[in-house]
Amino acid sequence: MRIRPVSIRMETLTRPTFESADLPDWMATCREQELDDLDFGVIGFDLDGRVQRYNATESRLAGLATARVLGQMFFTSVAPCMNNFMVCQRFEDALRDGTPLDDTIDYVLTLRMRPVKVKLRLLARPGEGFRYVLVQRRI
Amino acid sequence: MHALDDIAAEHEALLQFLYLAPVGIVQTTPDGTIGMINPLSAQLLMPLATDGNLVNLFDALDPVAPELRAMVAGFTAASGAVCDGHRVQLTAGIPGREDPRFLSVSLVKLDAERFMAVLSDITLVMRREQQLKQSEAWFNAILTGVSDYALVTLDEVGRIERWNASIGRVTGLRRQEVERQPFSILSRPDETPAERIDDRLREADANGWSLEDGWYRRADETRFWGSTMIAPLHDPVAPGESAPPGGSERRYALIVRDITDKRDAAEDLRRAAVTDHLTGIANRRAFFDAAARELERWRRAPRPLSLLLIDADHFKNVNDRHGHPTGDAVLRAIATTLSGTAREIDVVARLGGEEFVVLLPSTDVAGAAAVAERIRAAIAAIAVESNGTLVRCTVSIGISTMGRDVTGLDALIERADEALYVAKAAGRNRVKVHGACMAPAVG
Repeated sequence: MRIRPVSIRMETLTRPTFESADLPDWMATCREQELDDLDFGVIGFDLDGRVQRYNATESRLAGLATARVLGQMFFTSVAPCMNNFMVCQRFEDALRDGTPLDDTIDYVLTLRMRPVKVKLRLLARPGEGFRYVLVQRRI
Repeated sequence: MHALDDIAAEHEALLQFLYLAPVGIVQTTPDGTIGMINPLSAQLLMPLATDGNLVNLFDALDPVAPELRAMVAGFTAASGAVCDGHRVQLTAGIPGREDPRFLSVSLVKLDAERFMAVLSDITLVMRREQQLKQSEAWFNAILTGVSDYALVTLDEVGRIERWNASIGRVTGLRRQEVERQPFSILSRPDETPAERIDDRLREADANGWSLEDGWYRRADETRFWGSTMIAPLHDPVAPGESAPPGGSERRYALIVRDITDKRDAAEDLRRAAVTDHLTGIANRRAFFDAAARELERWRRAPRPLSLLLIDADHFKNVNDRHGHPTGDAVLRAIATTLSGTAREIDVVARLGGEEFVVLLPSTDVAGAAAVAERIRAAIAAIAVESNGTLVRCTVSIGISTMGRDVTGLDALIERADEALYVAKAAGRNRVKVHGACMAPAVG
């Protein structure tokens, strides 16, 4: 087990959680290392649908190296399980209508071929270049 | 170290291969509990899972395919295909805006503990099939020319609303014989049970048209081989609704064409595709199409539906002793007897080899047994001449009947097959009903 440095308390104070309202602002400015330190999965994809950010937690959950995923089309080549009206369509509608999207839904991902209950937070803001799917395991 | 890295890299590539497979793959226990599942399965199943979880495959599919559980329960073999390409309708669609969505489910039993399901979205395939059927129906109607069809309108229960010159030209029937009468008066009265009228109207509602060939009568009591198409004139009725939107009444157009004339090239082509080349009766494909439609009707409104599976006794001996041309003549004689005994609404087909099938709509076990006995006796009485000697052949017949415990066409045929086996074991040239005194007589 890794022993955490003393600064752990500071980190938990500043590090956002899955539910944090200001998460979109935080992610817009944070470094990749900070994204990797989050205990939930983060996938950021651009307006064309190509994955541009893929944090370590997500990489570990899915069993795929970040390098394998970056630049790939998110809904067709990375997460086809979300390519339906429950997830993909929501992003498309938000983009088309220019409306913000911030919604959390219960979903099941097939990580390493096992059904895994998760919460998905879907984030998109008009005028921003990246959209995000956040993944947290449900217990 | 390198070897371990290689294995890890290969593992990852394999994982990605499965992540991106364009079909859904699921492994379950016999009760449907999901062990392994790939992403496309989640894409297809999550919109169906009412509780937002994917714990059990049969639970997830229960709203659209409740029969799967019964199919698995009824599958007693140690391993093998439970169903292959079983079609499941997911959504009804919105007429003119969105197609109904279809899923294909194939289920394989690997062993006592494991089942593997393959799921794929066949919405596009189904749409293409529908379009093909539609154009076939249209070509069918147009190619014959415009001189020999009748067009009338039907009310919501299938009564002919008004006489017109075209119906007089094709059938010779007069105004008072036709108006306010159910359209079944155009065929021979004993050929169209009342429920068949409703079936065809509901099919027209569901598909946009209902097409059927059969014998129709003229005023002078001669008959002609005709093709009828029924198409709704009202706005589409949503599934589960009883009336078109806006409170309007259901109305239909009925087109009757005399297609006795075999010069119709399109008709010849169509006939060739559905006819058994040797005997001239329906082939296997045509049987499964017609039977699937009949089962669909049964699901919508259960009513008696029985099936006869007929097998020529000791047919190999006939071929061996008298030659294949004689064997073929025997098969043709059996086919002729079957179509002569069957009603217009019955489906008579050669399944293959010396095996025939007759599907009897609106017929219970007792009725089916009577028909089967007539067929058995008629075939036992005929003889085919071969080089101066008369060759006789008998048949054994197994009967099954549709019920809630029968999961589908395959199960219905399988039951008839079991009864047929009993008939064979009991000495051939006899009729057996599935489930009734199935044990062969001893001694």
